[in-house]
Amino acid sequence: MATPGGPRPGNIPPIYTPNSLANKMQELQINQPNLPQSNNPTVGASRPPITTPFGQQPPTFAGTRPGPPLPSAFMRGPVLPSPSGPPSTLSRNVASDRPIAPPPGSQPSPRFTSRPLPPGSLPSSMGGATLSLASGSSPQLGPGPHQQLFASSPLMSGPAAPPPLSTSGPLSNGLPRITPAQLQDGPRFPPVMGSTPRPPPIAAPQPARMLSSGSSSQHPLLRPNFGGPSASASLATAQPGPPSASPQNMTPSPAPSPFSAPIQSVPPSSGSPYGMQTCMSQQQQVAPPPPFPGLQPPRMYGMPPPLPNQSMAPTSPALGHTGAVVTAQSMVDLNHIPRPIPSSIVILHMTRQGNQANPPPPATSDYIVKDTGNCSPRFMRCTINQIPCTVDLLSTSAMQLALLVQPLALPHPSEEPIQVVDFGESGPVRCSRCKGYINPFMKFIDQGRRFICNLCGFTDETPHDYHCNLGPDGRRRDADERAELCRGTVEFVASKEYMVRDPMPAVYFFLIDVSMNAIQTGATAAACSAINQVIADLPDGPRTAVGIATFDSNIHFYNLKRALQQPLMLIVPDIQDVYTPLESDVIVQLSECHQHVEILLESIPTMFQNNRIADSAFGAAIKAAFLAMKSTGGKLLVFQSVLPSIGTGSLSAREADGWRNISAGEKEANKLLQPADKTLKTMAVEFAEYQICVDLFITTQTYVDIASISVIPITTGGQVYYYYPFTALSDPAKLYNDLRWNVTRPQGFEAVMRVRCSQGIQVQDYSGNFCKRIPTDVDLPAIDCDKTIMVTLKHDDKLQDGSECAFQCALLYTNVYGQRRIRVSTLSLPCTTLLSNLFRFADLDTQFACILKQVTSEVPSTPLPQVTEKPKNLCINILHSYRKFCASASASGQLILPEALKLLPLYTLGLLKSCGLQANGRIDDRSFWINYVSHLSTHSAIPLVYPRMIAIHNLDEKEMDDSLIPETVPLSSEHITDEGIYLLENGEDCLIYVGNSVNPDILRKLLGISSVEEISRQFVLQQYDNPLSKKLNNIVNEMRRQRSSYLRLKLCRKGDPSGTTFFSYMVEDKTPGGLSYVEFLIHIHQHIQRKMP
Amino acid sequence: MAASRLPEADLEGIEGVRMTWNNWPRTKVEASKCVIPIAASIQPIRPHVDLQILPYPPLRCKTCSAVLSPYCRVDFTALIWMCPFCYQRNHFPQHYQSISQTNLPAELYPNFPSIEYTIPSYPQNPQNFNTSTTVCPIYLFVLDTCLLEVELDFAKSALKRAIGMLPDNAMVGFVSYGTQVQVHELGFSEMSKVYVFRGSKELSKDQGFCDLLHNEIFLLPASECEYTLNSLLDELGTDQWPVAPGKRPLRCTGVALSVAAGLLGASMVGTGARIIALVGGPCTDGPGSIVSKDLSDPVRSHKDLDKDAAPFFKKSVQFYEDLGKQLVSQGHVLDVFASALDQVGIAEMKVAIERTGGLVVLAESFGHSVFKESFKHIFEDGELSLGLSFNGTLEINCSKDIKIQGIIGSCSSLEKKGPAVANTVIGQGNTTAWKMCGLDRNTSMTVFFDISSNEKSDPSGTNPQLYIQFITSYQSPDGQTRLRATTVTRRWVDGAVGTEDLVSGFDQEVAAVVMARLASYKMEMEEGFDATRWLDRNLIRLCSKFGDYRKDDPSSFTLNPCFSLFPQFMFNLRRSQFVQVFNNSPDETAYFRILLNREIISNAAVMIQPSLISYSFNSLPAPALLDVSSIGADRILLLDSYFSVVIFHGTTIAQWRNMGYQNQPEHQAFAHLLQAPHDDAELIIRDRFPVPRLVVCDQHGSQARFLLAKLNPSATYSNAHEMAAGSDVIFTDDVSLQVFIDHLQQLAVQAS
Repeated sequence: MATPGGPRPGNIPPIYTPNSLANKMQELQINQPNLPQSNNPTVGASRPPITTPFGQQPPTFAGTRPGPPLPSAFMRGPVLPSPSGPPSTLSRNVASDRPIAPPPGSQPSPRFTSRPLPPGSLPSSMGGATLSLASGSSPQLGPGPHQQLFASSPLMSGPAAPPPLSTSGPLSNGLPRITPAQLQDGPRFPPVMGSTPRPPPIAAPQPARMLSSGSSSQHPLLRPNFGGPSASASLATAQPGPPSASPQNMTPSPAPSPFSAPIQSVPPSSGSPYGMQTCMSQQQQVAPPPPFPGLQPPRMYGMPPPLPNQSMAPTSPALGHTGAVVTAQSMVDLNHIPRPIPSSIVILHMTRQGNQANPPPPATSDYIVKDTGNCSPRFMRCTINQIPCTVDLLSTSAMQLALLVQPLALPHPSEEPIQVVDFGESGPVRCSRCKGYINPFMKFIDQGRRFICNLCGFTDETPHDYHCNLGPDGRRRDADERAELCRGTVEFVASKEYMVRDPMPAVYFFLIDVSMNAIQTGATAAACSAINQVIADLPDGPRTAVGIATFDSNIHFYNLKRALQQPLMLIVPDIQDVYTPLESDVIVQLSECHQHVEILLESIPTMFQNNRIADSAFGAAIKAAFLAMKSTGGKLLVFQSVLPSIGTGSLSAREADGWRNISAGEKEANKLLQPADKTLKTMAVEFAEYQICVDLFITTQTYVDIASISVIPITTGGQVYYYYPFTALSDPAKLYNDLRWNVTRPQGFEAVMRVRCSQGIQVQDYSGNFCKRIPTDVDLPAIDCDKTIMVTLKHDDKLQDGSECAFQCALLYTNVYGQRRIRVSTLSLPCTTLLSNLFRFADLDTQFACILKQVTSEVPSTPLPQVTEKPKNLCINILHSYRKFCASASASGQLILPEALKLLPLYTLGLLKSCGLQANGRIDDRSFWINYVSHLSTHSAIPLVYPRMIAIHNLDEKEMDDSLIPETVPLSSEHITDEGIYLLENGEDCLIYVGNSVNPDILRKLLGISSVEEISRQFVLQQYDNPLSKKLNNIVNEMRRQRSSYLRLKLCRKGDPSGTTFFSYMVEDKTPGGLSYVEFLIHIHQHIQRKMP
Repeated sequence: MAASRLPEADLEGIEGVRMTWNNWPRTKVEASKCVIPIAASIQPIRPHVDLQILPYPPLRCKTCSAVLSPYCRVDFTALIWMCPFCYQRNHFPQHYQSISQTNLPAELYPNFPSIEYTIPSYPQNPQNFNTSTTVCPIYLFVLDTCLLEVELDFAKSALKRAIGMLPDNAMVGFVSYGTQVQVHELGFSEMSKVYVFRGSKELSKDQGFCDLLHNEIFLLPASECEYTLNSLLDELGTDQWPVAPGKRPLRCTGVALSVAAGLLGASMVGTGARIIALVGGPCTDGPGSIVSKDLSDPVRSHKDLDKDAAPFFKKSVQFYEDLGKQLVSQGHVLDVFASALDQVGIAEMKVAIERTGGLVVLAESFGHSVFKESFKHIFEDGELSLGLSFNGTLEINCSKDIKIQGIIGSCSSLEKKGPAVANTVIGQGNTTAWKMCGLDRNTSMTVFFDISSNEKSDPSGTNPQLYIQFITSYQSPDGQTRLRATTVTRRWVDGAVGTEDLVSGFDQEVAAVVMARLASYKMEMEEGFDATRWLDRNLIRLCSKFGDYRKDDPSSFTLNPCFSLFPQFMFNLRRSQFVQVFNNSPDETAYFRILLNREIISNAAVMIQPSLISYSFNSLPAPALLDVSSIGADRILLLDSYFSVVIFHGTTIAQWRNMGYQNQPEHQAFAHLLQAPHDDAELIIRDRFPVPRLVVCDQHGSQARFLLAKLNPSATYSNAHEMAAGSDVIFTDDVSLQVFIDHLQQLAVQAS
């Protein structure tokens, strides 16, 4: 498709025939070297499809589909053994997460060793990482201690490699003088906070003052410190002098130099960070020396080879107002600042060990779960892995208590499939009072004749045929044989009483915009071609039915009944009060209409080729489709290209007015982010009632008022896909892949979900994409593996210290094979009365995802300045609480971060700078962002605000180990060079930034262009016959696989709007409206200090 | 034409006008004393062998725009003609210069009181006015699909045949409906394309089609879309929306027709077009519904209508009234072919059908010959052609003192005011011009006149002749625009009622038909109108006025031959379906009335008083008394009651026939006897529209009721013993003609 001079948006769209498109797909979708075959979807379903959305193989169930439906829809297990090389099998499954791990347990070490830059590992010690901001008021101040700081600061000190880390680690980080402190308490994970605080020796006493004053004479120093019980990393702003040497030039060489000042001693004993050791034991690390988990310094810093490590000098200008301070005399070594360190190592996680809940690995890491009683963290994670006994304790911590539930999350391929339990006619055993489902934490007593519900505490009679004697350990003798008694997640076969009707068939209704714009931009052709290819991927069998309709200012249905010679077009012209034109035959069993559908989809673009109707009756069209689907329910996939301008639920181009208002006075600017009226909402609730889920594929070049129309998918458990500005050249591939993933991913229909909690805790609210009719349940016309629901919790009583608090999520749904199932995930967590435990067991990813979702949900209803205050305050309050109660002994000049939450400020900053919170952003972009967040899974939350960036111009320089993806580069423009090419992805978009002085040879090899000037807005990544290009393609494919998203590729270059876009992702930079990372830390620090007595 | 009716055909003559009174009383008072209103039954475009068609436009009076006629006084030297209606003197135009006493243009020939002009469609370009610039007729078929499979197949094959018979240039469109309305786009090549409208909601007029029809092609010349249509019909199935048990199918006839009207209205205003609707059941959904969806609710009966217990009726009628108005304004016709065992709502649709001059056929099944033959008939070409014409307007000019009350028949008032508009209105009145969206050769209607002058008027006895001119312009089947001017003259009669002149001018056949039409009209329009009493009273008054008798002596009563048949007509009218509606459904009644109003006098008379012909070995076929006594075991009777033609075999004949004598060579005569009525029936049926139902039955057979119902019950169970053997009796309490006449005489001679 990328023929030179090929179609451009304004032109008549190319007509894709399925084959040609398939071929194109081949080009587009970068193939894995070992999978050279075409991704032609038509090749046949029996073979594991080679092309997969996101370059990964489709979820296994695709492969298994032909066979009998397996209990758990997607059984990776069986697939794994397949002979095809590890890459293929693994790759597809890993889908949702992280890079393919080498076989669990294997050491990733080679990579590290090979890495040119052995980065220093952070001096993280157990408790937390402390950043002490010491502002040296006077230059001399700095030099002294700071120098050392510096030395340590690069953090690079520690050899990156995990194994080495353990040894060198201790040495590498921290300030020498701190060491003692660390040593003292470092190794310990002092449960008591009292013990923790050790005033770091250094402490610049006045930093706070200085910072606040902002006078030029003072400059903040960031210096690693021993904050709390754990090691602290202190960032010191130091003078250029001494430190400069080390960080700056260290880049290319495996400079050990930086480490020269190994500071912290991390107790060697401490476990390795998650990343490193894949053993089961690693979780424990948390306890001992958690520091590393987050920070795998090696990669972080190491990677930007060409970067002048933010030498202080260069940084300063960027630092805006504080810059004065900084420039004057202090430098912040950005390398010291906590940054996320993605690990490519696969962690093996057992959900419970020693009858104790095991805190989960970070959501963003790659892990394999062994369900030993608690459900996998994929399905349910709590913001804090120990539950505060009282509400006071929780509020003191300022943290959130919430669950993120992703009931159908895609498992790791190596994980055991979820077991299906069939209780026959009687249905699963449940507590007769709270209706909680039987789970491993229900306690059987009285020789097994009765059991105590772990949720409500009620004692029930064991059903007669379920009775089993207890063993000496007090457990039922059959506990290990019965999945429901030993697994955190099981699926019960739903008995009749769980069905109000027969399980619904899998109905897919495609609704395609054919108005003038859609036709002319090629959106219609792209949609038709994507659907045509995806049809083959729909579940087989008589239960799958499809329907197709198109619309402009009328709605066109098609009678797909086989008896007819050709499809019959049925037009519904009354778009104020729509109806369905046929009782049946609009939705037909796929097996009966396959041919018709193909013919139809091929002819739609030509049929409407000369359409001059610019209006779009979106609301009426979905309503009409709804009427057609009403009797069964199902998925409605809508391809919309313009603003719905006519008929029911039509909208006005209020964006324009909105801008005027904004410029006029900012009043109620957020109104534009709210639905224009209630029509669509009412409609959506009705859809949900009839089990219809709407997914929107918005392929547009204009404003379409996503704020209004996204109400439909949000309410019906659907999702919005946004292709803006749509181009016929590069977007069809993503559209196809998105659509394909949409229909092939594990999913369920007509679902109802409820979360039950142990006594003392109750669900406060649910949020996500669903419809709620009664307070306790959420109705999900459809739910899939990517949808996450946030469940906020509240105390209604005190919890017993030492007891466990259980959460049980039950999802009743119908799978694509028409089986009614109840998936029950139970998570039992210990309760605690210790504040320090809360911080120690805080789950950063989950915490942040909750903050993200909460903040986002307020954007449409609250003025932006207030919205942005919220995450900032949350961050400040949490850190303040920690500072005050858990690290009170440390010097006031230090910013002390709890280890588990040390990245919170960075992510908060990222959030503040994200598109959704930018007042000047396009309304639709913001609305989409808001919508995207509403169902975002935990592991995708962080990439969204803190994208992953890698350098790709030097791919061949690096010896790639088994991890495909090179080390990440911090999101700071200082790490961007004019000679470099960088790839940045956030799970949705993927930007490739080309510096102005890039070596033309590399440019040609990678992108097939000879100069930067040739970069066009439309870009299709192609694979050229050179190793560099292959590597790049592999990387992109791997990323797509990891994200379960095709990633929209855009080329950016400096001096171009695209470059501006790219740099807007540099969250660590100072921007006109936002602080740099360092400034932000300082800012937070000031606030904390102000709050301190 | 049936031989028996040939002479009647001439009665209309070239004028196509028959009047109740051919000599008119001078004054209003006298006119009212005549009892029978002064009315003319006109047949505006009656074909006639002598009719001249002039290839030029008519000359019209500059004040009253009457057309030049033989009754104009012409001054050949001054080249001036005087309008007989307004006395305006008009100059002949240049091209009439050469006329003289001996060189008259056709329109001045006294034997051409009717003459037809061809009007150029494009006057600006007169060279080719009557050639290629013709307008093609448009046929928009509307097919009900809420039918049994077999019924739908019948309907579809009828449609296919019809489409095959259409002239190539006829424009065709197709709409099918059931629960919803489907408008089929015929000009879309990619795939079959259908616009679907919901059946439960009326299409809003302003929104409607105008926005919709950008470049979609719903109407195509028959030659281009025949294939498309045929394959479309092949694929068309019965309505697939489910019908709940105990419910009627949802059928949105009203919306379908309004969509069809909208479709034509959007593109074809002013062009002749007919909507031909094939309806298979009652409308149950949306506007125009006549009955609820629940099968337990029966369709309204006359009783319900009387008791105001038909909740849907008025609304539905209102809907069709509006639809009719819309169609009239667009100049389009609504034809309804209803085939169902139950009613489909003709009673409600009647107004739209009549106002637009549409055709209506009521049959029990689309497979029945009544439907099949009738439907075929409308597309017939040549001699059998109905001569379906479009877009007619009728203007009437009349002499001073004559006022027009209105017209009962298939037309609608154009509300054109003028001095000739009477104060009282009958039918479509208040005007001197009427619109006839559809009309054909047989279309006829009744114009009611009134006389405005009173005694004192103008004793000078100016002109003893009165003139009435009917000017009909229309679009002929071949697309030409024609104008027919029919000018009739009648004589004024001075003096008292009962004068010879007045009596001799009475046309009792016309009078009977006019009374029937008027009675029907009043039954519909006037609440609680008692038609029987009204007819009786009028008959008695008439007899009192025009009979010869001695007061209070019934035996002395005699009637002038000009009136002698009238009482019998009235007797039969009283018993007919027009007055005794309770034997029929409202649909049937409506159907009968529509036909009564639009048929020519002779046919209408047959509806009132069927003709009966007797066949026997002993004599030639001969008209027989419409009396039960005409039944004979050795006779065959042929009854023509217009709506049905009954061949009735006497017992003996039936026995012989059953024994197969007709097949034996020695009984040739019997075979002929059996065949003769069939041949005659065939003649009757052939040129009649709608095609009557042919009933062949035997004496004492169940079907014999079709005959017995029409016969004078001179023999009932009460006097059966008096009857001759082989005859029959009718089990009824109805009075016989004899009893009726006796009573009439008694009442007529009583002093008023």
